[in-house]
Amino acid sequence: MTLAIILFALALGCYLIAVLEDWAVHGRLDPLRPAVSALALLGREQVLPRKSDRLFFEVGPVLLLVAGLLAVAVIPLAPGLIVTDLATGALFLNAALAYVLVALIMAGWGPNGAYAMIGGWRFLGQFVAYAMLIVMTITAVAMRAESLSTTEIVTSQAALWNVFYQPIGFVLFVIAAMGLAWLPPIDLPTGGGDLAGGVEAEYTGARLAVLRLARLVIVLALASATATFYLGGWLGPWLPAWAWTAAKTLAVAAAMLFLGRHLPRLREARYLAVSWKLGIPLALANIILVGVIALVVPI
Amino acid sequence: MSVAQALFLIFFGAAAVWFGIVVFRTHSMVRSAIALLFSQTAVGAMFLVMQAEFLGVLQIMMMATEMSVMAIFMVMFMMDPGGMGKMDMTHQKRLSLWAGGIGLVAALAVIWGAGWTGPVPPVPGAAEQAAALGRELLGRSMFIFEAAALMILTAMVAATMVAIAPREEDD
Repeated sequence: MTLAIILFALALGCYLIAVLEDWAVHGRLDPLRPAVSALALLGREQVLPRKSDRLFFEVGPVLLLVAGLLAVAVIPLAPGLIVTDLATGALFLNAALAYVLVALIMAGWGPNGAYAMIGGWRFLGQFVAYAMLIVMTITAVAMRAESLSTTEIVTSQAALWNVFYQPIGFVLFVIAAMGLAWLPPIDLPTGGGDLAGGVEAEYTGARLAVLRLARLVIVLALASATATFYLGGWLGPWLPAWAWTAAKTLAVAAAMLFLGRHLPRLREARYLAVSWKLGIPLALANIILVGVIALVVPI
Repeated sequence: MSVAQALFLIFFGAAAVWFGIVVFRTHSMVRSAIALLFSQTAVGAMFLVMQAEFLGVLQIMMMATEMSVMAIFMVMFMMDPGGMGKMDMTHQKRLSLWAGGIGLVAALAVIWGAGWTGPVPPVPGAAEQAAALGRELLGRSMFIFEAAALMILTAMVAATMVAIAPREEDD
């Protein structure tokens, strides 16, 4: 029963995020648009590139979807409403999302096309930039909760949300998450005006639909992870617990989809430089600060 | 260990060995790197089945990164990374066969020779495992990890120095 509810919430969440993305791109709120687009994609001809690495070409989008689904499995929707409450949940989320990189490299390499391949390798450059930031900010969150379990991370924020307790970590996590979900302005792996779609360039029809669906699941996983780690997850007055998680997740997703569109695209080398020269020292400072606060004034 | 656990352990063990074989059976460098990744991921899954949760998750996470970085180096430095020219991935076959055979015999000897005493004690909870690992890292293993970290840092600085193109001297 729990699994069915979570799967339903996941499907609904993905659909709403697709509506939000459409709103962020085209400026209109059309609730039917994603359904129409999906049907159009499923009905379209599926082109197979010549001399492709067929195995990678087929497995790439599916692996991306599996990585996103595994990441969602450790995010609690409400107390007890979680697929599996692992003791190492926060680390598991990171481990699952590491396969986004593998999937994009496979999807980029598979079709034997220059644009797709460059897109895939660009994501590796991006990965080197965001990987440390994600792990180091999660470390600070786990330090306060004294646990890697996502439900305990939520309950540790009963007195004060982490967004106020460790604001530096929050900003770094969101920036790193946007890199992980290749959202604008860090969307060069699939850059529309730059690489003719990058990793998506050679995918058509149902395969492209799976690739785009997987991306929505990843955005949902990261938005709900931000809500869980920094915005108190299901905690909140009046409304039922699941409603708070849903509202916070959608708000974070909307912010991530909307804000970046108003900034110029960030080249992966620049993202790398900013992440390592500024982001990692700040993340270290955040860990020290959280450690000191946790020892001196336990909130 | 329950029957289901044993079956999963055998499955992931077989998967690890199979992907290990695929590493050498393909002509494509990228396929080879990804096969090695999935072999290591299967080992991580074996840790999970054996209830070493932290180690399993860590193995699964670290290997994805490492093998992907290795793949790009293979693509950069090999002349035929896609295996279109059917490059042979094996060489020094006689020596490799002997080395592999001796390694296998040694491993089997250790397995049979080791004094396996009774059933293993119950596995502590995942949280205690992480705590024990933390105590280990900050206790007697601290020197090893600090030394390794320093060596990696030195290698990173050296690699960066090698990668930077020397600036042209002004005349």
